[in-house]
Amino acid sequence: MEYLLTGFATALSWQNLLYCLIGVTFGMLVGVLPGLGPSAGTAVLLPLTFGMEPISAIIMLSGIYYGAMYGGTITSVLINTPGEAASAITCLDGYPLAQQGRAGTALGVAGIGSFFGGTVAIIGLAFIGPPLAKLALKFGPPEFFALMVLGMTMVIGLMGKSVLRGLIAAFIGLNLAIIGMDPLTGTVRFAFGVEELSNGLDFIPLVMGMFGLSEIILCLEDEMKAETPPKVRGLLPRREEWGPVTKAIMRGTGIGFLVGLLPGTNSVIPTIMSYSLERKLAKDPSRFGKGAIEGVASPETANNAYCGAALIPLFTLGIPSSPTVAILLGAFIMHGLQPGPQLFSKNPDFVWAVIASMFVGNLILLFMNLPMAGFWAKMLMVPYKLLFPIVLAVAIVGSYSVNNSMFDVGAMILFGILGYFLKKVEIPLAPVVLTFVLGRLIEDSLLQSLTLFRGDFTLIFSRPIAGTLLVLSLLIFVASVIAGLKNKKGALASDVEM
Amino acid sequence: MNNAALWIGLVILAFAGVLFQQSTTYQYFGRFGPGPGLFPLWLSGTLGVITLIYIINSYRHKIVTFAAILPKGTGRIRVVSLFAALIVFLVAIRFTGYTVASTIMLFILLVREYKWYKSLAIAAAISVVVFYVFRGILDVPLPVNPFGF
Repeated sequence: MEYLLTGFATALSWQNLLYCLIGVTFGMLVGVLPGLGPSAGTAVLLPLTFGMEPISAIIMLSGIYYGAMYGGTITSVLINTPGEAASAITCLDGYPLAQQGRAGTALGVAGIGSFFGGTVAIIGLAFIGPPLAKLALKFGPPEFFALMVLGMTMVIGLMGKSVLRGLIAAFIGLNLAIIGMDPLTGTVRFAFGVEELSNGLDFIPLVMGMFGLSEIILCLEDEMKAETPPKVRGLLPRREEWGPVTKAIMRGTGIGFLVGLLPGTNSVIPTIMSYSLERKLAKDPSRFGKGAIEGVASPETANNAYCGAALIPLFTLGIPSSPTVAILLGAFIMHGLQPGPQLFSKNPDFVWAVIASMFVGNLILLFMNLPMAGFWAKMLMVPYKLLFPIVLAVAIVGSYSVNNSMFDVGAMILFGILGYFLKKVEIPLAPVVLTFVLGRLIEDSLLQSLTLFRGDFTLIFSRPIAGTLLVLSLLIFVASVIAGLKNKKGALASDVEM
Repeated sequence: MNNAALWIGLVILAFAGVLFQQSTTYQYFGRFGPGPGLFPLWLSGTLGVITLIYIINSYRHKIVTFAAILPKGTGRIRVVSLFAALIVFLVAIRFTGYTVASTIMLFILLVREYKWYKSLAIAAAISVVVFYVFRGILDVPLPVNPFGF
């Protein structure tokens, strides 16, 4: 409690409040504007944090992450186009509500649900985080290796329509991660005489290319029209709607929170699950798809609860559960912080300030959404043909600023083109980025384990936790392959790049 | 030969092959523990094997052609313009500095959407603002020409 109060004191300093405000505002913009997801948005803003204090930097970047979840709703409701993938399901009932002149109610309920879901998840992070981190402190290199393999297996198993394509993506990321110096002997690998490669590939050009540039290229293929949104009036539901809405928000919070704890999931999964549940529980399921307010409340709550809960594996185990969280992990490392069990004990000021800032950020977002929904709706009138050159210019300079080198700009462009073609053949990009971030950590823990076991890998199974996690990974992998062969992965395995 | 998955698979396979060949030149296991070649050898080898399966699969299932996945008409022109603009930018920046190279790049992208003078004005405005923010405020030493921009 004392740490949390100190965290609030840090988060409420004018400087951090400003960064939180910038973060959530940019996140809202990312969510509202088409063609720019939370991953690309966070990646584009990452270089701007180089000169900042780590606390301020992570406060700002986290703000983009959860801010985008609020922003994505607006486009779903007003113009039937999700600003980001997690809001896609909101179109089903949000847009019909807007057509009935109840856009304000849909946005209001989404705002309240998002605030509630997000806040409960952060409370969960504050309470579950420390004991989980304490438990993880007992982990040695074999346990961490097994844990990361489990995380990776879940990513491969759950993301993408095909396990094979997920595997290819994951191994591309791992192979890219090992370019550069060997962690034990310092031998430079795969540099081919290029000086810039001797320290390995940088994370920012890779993410900016894969998520930013490839997304720009894809958007250029379509029509680039600006939309005129309808007017937003009356933000609260009718009296008789409060009961079902409250229950839907509660259920959405539970689903979002639980799914967020699992590595390899994405924010679309809890939204689909919560929408399906609401439909099943409804007295009259035929209302869904025609403007049922619970169809907006529950998924919108779920995606924000998911966002907060997804930070628990990152803060306690150092395992990113989604690409945007992987970018946050990259940001942690860039600022000299190592996410994982020691974060709570070594950097308590940092952890609790970030957690406190999320409470503050959610409150800011509630105010930004309820009275200002109409203002954000006007952002839809910014044409993409004007927006994408700005994003491109910032992405180029952002990549350059990592090492002040044009090599990184070239790498960003190369990864952008690679990402574009991979998307075209439905190889998901999320596992590439996730495994790229984890690659070095996996190699470190594997080599340390092998040194410990004098080269005998099978001894890893003599450690109960590590052995159990590896067996679990194997079972998940086999189950994913079987599900893939039977083509039962369905909607949960949509190739979402969040 | 118009199988897109095959060609993309071949590129990945070539990447895996190069890494695998290089991995064999590094020590696999030394006196004191695993060498720098151990992890890369397994990773590149596995990537190679799964990519081979992917390539074989690309023939067994419905073949995805380049014509089916690449854009047509205006979309194609826009995408090609973007690639061209990026190449021009990479070449020009060595001689012209950031602001001019960025203005040229953005002009190429915008000129199809707006009148030429509007495109030029928007391109120059974006470039100048980005230059000012990164060089002036964030101290990023962007490449400049002899005139300092």
